Amino acid sequence: MTDGSGDAGGAPGDAAEDGGTTPGDASDAADGDASSAAARTARDRAERRILPALAAGTVLLLAVLFYYPVGTVLVEAVRVDGRYTLEVLVGVLRDPFYLGDLAGLFAGESPLAVAGRLLGPDRRLGIVGFTAYQAALSTLASVALGLPGAYVLARFEFPGRRTLRSLTILPFVLPSIMVAVGFVATFGDDGTLNAALSAVGLPTVDLLFTLEAVVIAHAFYNAPLVTRVTTAAWESVDASAVETARSLGAGPFRAFRDVVAPQVYPAVLMGAALTFVFTFGTFPIVLALGGFELATVEVFVYRLIRNLEYAEAAALAIVELAVSLGLLYAYLRYEARHTVRSRGVRPLPRHRLLPASPSFGQALVRVGVAAYALVALTVFLAPVLSMLLASVTGPDGLTLEHYRFLVERQRTGAAFQVRPWPAVRNSLLFGVGALAVALPMGVVVAVLTTRDYRGRKLVDAVAMAPLSISGIVVGLGLLRGLVFGVEVWGTRIAVGGALAVVAAHAVAGYPFVVRTVGPGLDALDRSLVESARALGASRARALLDVELPLVRPGVVAGAAFAFAISMGEFSATVVLATGTEQYTMPIAIERFIGRRLGPATAMGVVLLLVTSASFVVIDRFGGETGGL
Amino acid sequence: MGSEDRPGGDGAAPDDAPVAVELDGVSRRYGDTTAVSDVSLRIREGEFFTLVGPSGCGKTTTLRLIAGFEAPDAGTVRLGGRSVEGLPPEDRNVGVVFQNYALFPHMTVGENVAYGLNFAEPPGGLTREERVRELLELVDLPGMADRDPDELSGGQRQRVAMARALAPGPEVLLLDEPMSALDAQLRERLRAQVKAIQRELSITTVYVTHDQEEALAVSDRVAVMREGTPDQVAPPRTVYRRPATRFVAEFVGDNNVFEGRVEAVEGHVEPSDQVDRNIHENAPHGVGSPVETEGSVGGAGNAESGTDAAITAVDVGETVARVRAPGDVAVGDRLSFCVRPENLRILRDAEEDGRDPANVLRGSVASAEFLGETTRVRLSWGDRELVVRTTDPLSGTISVAFDPADAHVFAHERR
Repeated sequence: MTDGSGDAGGAPGDAAEDGGTTPGDASDAADGDASSAAARTARDRAERRILPALAAGTVLLLAVLFYYPVGTVLVEAVRVDGRYTLEVLVGVLRDPFYLGDLAGLFAGESPLAVAGRLLGPDRRLGIVGFTAYQAALSTLASVALGLPGAYVLARFEFPGRRTLRSLTILPFVLPSIMVAVGFVATFGDDGTLNAALSAVGLPTVDLLFTLEAVVIAHAFYNAPLVTRVTTAAWESVDASAVETARSLGAGPFRAFRDVVAPQVYPAVLMGAALTFVFTFGTFPIVLALGGFELATVEVFVYRLIRNLEYAEAAALAIVELAVSLGLLYAYLRYEARHTVRSRGVRPLPRHRLLPASPSFGQALVRVGVAAYALVALTVFLAPVLSMLLASVTGPDGLTLEHYRFLVERQRTGAAFQVRPWPAVRNSLLFGVGALAVALPMGVVVAVLTTRDYRGRKLVDAVAMAPLSISGIVVGLGLLRGLVFGVEVWGTRIAVGGALAVVAAHAVAGYPFVVRTVGPGLDALDRSLVESARALGASRARALLDVELPLVRPGVVAGAAFAFAISMGEFSATVVLATGTEQYTMPIAIERFIGRRLGPATAMGVVLLLVTSASFVVIDRFGGETGGL
Repeated sequence: MGSEDRPGGDGAAPDDAPVAVELDGVSRRYGDTTAVSDVSLRIREGEFFTLVGPSGCGKTTTLRLIAGFEAPDAGTVRLGGRSVEGLPPEDRNVGVVFQNYALFPHMTVGENVAYGLNFAEPPGGLTREERVRELLELVDLPGMADRDPDELSGGQRQRVAMARALAPGPEVLLLDEPMSALDAQLRERLRAQVKAIQRELSITTVYVTHDQEEALAVSDRVAVMREGTPDQVAPPRTVYRRPATRFVAEFVGDNNVFEGRVEAVEGHVEPSDQVDRNIHENAPHGVGSPVETEGSVGGAGNAESGTDAAITAVDVGETVARVRAPGDVAVGDRLSFCVRPENLRILRDAEEDGRDPANVLRGSVASAEFLGETTRVRLSWGDRELVVRTTDPLSGTISVAFDPADAHVFAHERR
């Protein structure tokens, strides 16, 4: 900087001229074609501000739609009758009803005594403990069901492998309440399972409202997630690394243990961690399959809210949040250390599923694959098929009675009754609205979180937090914060219920847009954007011209996700739509399921059809979803 | 450190072309590591300027600071005399070619080349189409506009990237290792083409490479970088013949570096033109570019040949060498000097007799690499190694000798 001081007087002036801060400077800079240059400068300036403006808008939206409402709810846990207190929170922590024997820790008992009781035969888990217990079981089941799937998809070649790989995304976006209906139709007293069992002369079982049913339903959701992430990791193992190990003297098993396994197990861990977090916050499945006997934390929060015990609900939500966030944080720390994505590797060669003359070992493996395929087919197809079947069967065999009921209800239903068409219409409207908000929000966040800068981690965390906050809390926050109205500078601002539902759905959906668009952006060579910028494109223009066209499959997938999430969203909607006209298809199903299964399954089929149709539409408009 | 070679350092620049790119005390840090440390450079209009150095020396970061992809932590970058602080890359009027070319895969070759014309009128009153055609002809790819980038070979992509960068008529062309992904033969052909285009357009060019041979072949001036700072900034010949530091001596071409204490100063000599003897025949390809004259650009210091010198006896361990040292040398000083392999003459037995033993070094052949034109032979000399070049097969113990004038002293530590 020594002789920079000599030029310092001139430099700021030059910079100002370049920025065109005053009209005089701008015309001065463009001697010849002043008017077109001025127009260009104006356009450039506008373009340059788009991205910061969008970023600011996203932050504002997040604050209004998520952080403020959730904040108002959580504050209730420490604010009773206008004064701040930890009484309620401490009360929840010390209540064995919630924390079981662990509550003793917060009540001042010695950790040894607590541990002793926890290991003893009469341990009490409490609601939180039970929730963690069922989440752990569900995680185990999901890994057990998902891991062989990854093995088959990564190591065998067979017709339809790619399609099957793409389909593993499907369970995740299926509306949970619909899946719950499907499982009721499978495990119920008159369900397909018992029908099948009695058809072959076996005694019937009563799985409904048992832990087993809940765990299997969770595996339905999360095993494909484990399969997806593990398959991706397995496919990114470089064949030449394995070949190197073999040439150095390692046998096939040793090579697997030393080369393949270390690259695959972080993915398994990731699948397991996410499964645990998701199943810890489970709601519709347990509500439908477990009843209040198997209540998890989320179900209890919902119950407390319905009883208007907001303080206790908020305190319980905070405990839930602490567990989820803690786990998510631990996972992200782990992920940060293990994201060595190898690119351009030669994947391991795949075996043919049906070799011409299999050896004994090969045949044995194939028998195992066949057995697994049978189990997987049962778990994944049974609920959907059972739902379809149940929707067209009555006490006297095949019937269209349930669909007739829907039509009848639509024509003659009273104002207070749930009618099918408004549910379909609302779902579609909310879906489109949520998509319109979530897609740009997700893309902006993806752009902001793929670049390296200070504070990026914070942005990432702030933007991804909605994934770990329960829908119930978001819904309640929106209800009490925005729908009931907020006082801002003496003016009462209230948001309509429909807008609040759209907001909740957008908040639930946009992280998925980030997750589908972000990796694509991340993988793009940064010199592409830099080339565009050196050629004169602003940051926003480079995004539009270069990055987005190249990550279009991810954008389309994100759109499909956001829409599907909105279609299936239950937790926040059930809070916001109580006693209003804003009910959606999942809410309608829940209202029906309590009284009669038939119409619920019929409604479920309608939801399935509408969701599938929307997927096709998004797919058509957005081009092929190759990245999915 | 090589300050006498800095352009403008002694105001001796014969070329008075205006400065196109100027770095003034520029630094860039990433966390604890300093990628670029207090770099000052002046690159003149129309100059072909190369940043060369091993990986991690800060050459690419320097280029990115000029392009505006990075912002300096200290110092000023000026383009055309104006500070570009805070100016985004799109407003700097630079053309950039990356190592992997970064062609937009979803656009045709023509669309790629035309992309920059969305933001600037084509120069010379041409239409977009005419400009694209002109550029594709310039890089010898006429009629390729409708191809997709993935239909092209590596060399063709590189040329499309050149055409794209040049289309909007940038003031400065920045090339970041544009050849390193190509095979050796293609690389030599393309670098000649790049050089020809640069000459034709007289466009100021900053070229980044780790390949010192490439740097010597194409550049008007070279900055040899190490640990974030240029060790030497000079025309290729100066860098080759008179490296400013031990690092430069060893990085650019093969070299034999000696270090020792001055035993005696044996008399001063007139500035001589002997220094340059031998080099023309033995220099690597391309150094003898006909248009170039020594020190024509940026006025690299010819400090040594213009000043007083002394023949000095230096104890380098195995022997006492006679070298031509700066005139102010004194007994007891420590000198470091280097002798190029091509200046180590292999002596036949007969020649050895009667020679001053000072500059005769005897060693045994440790290894030989056949390079085609010549063979690179490594001799064990005491516990050190000497590199010599020969056209004849060698074995056993041999003697080599060098002329005191062929020793270049690059470090002088006073007692």
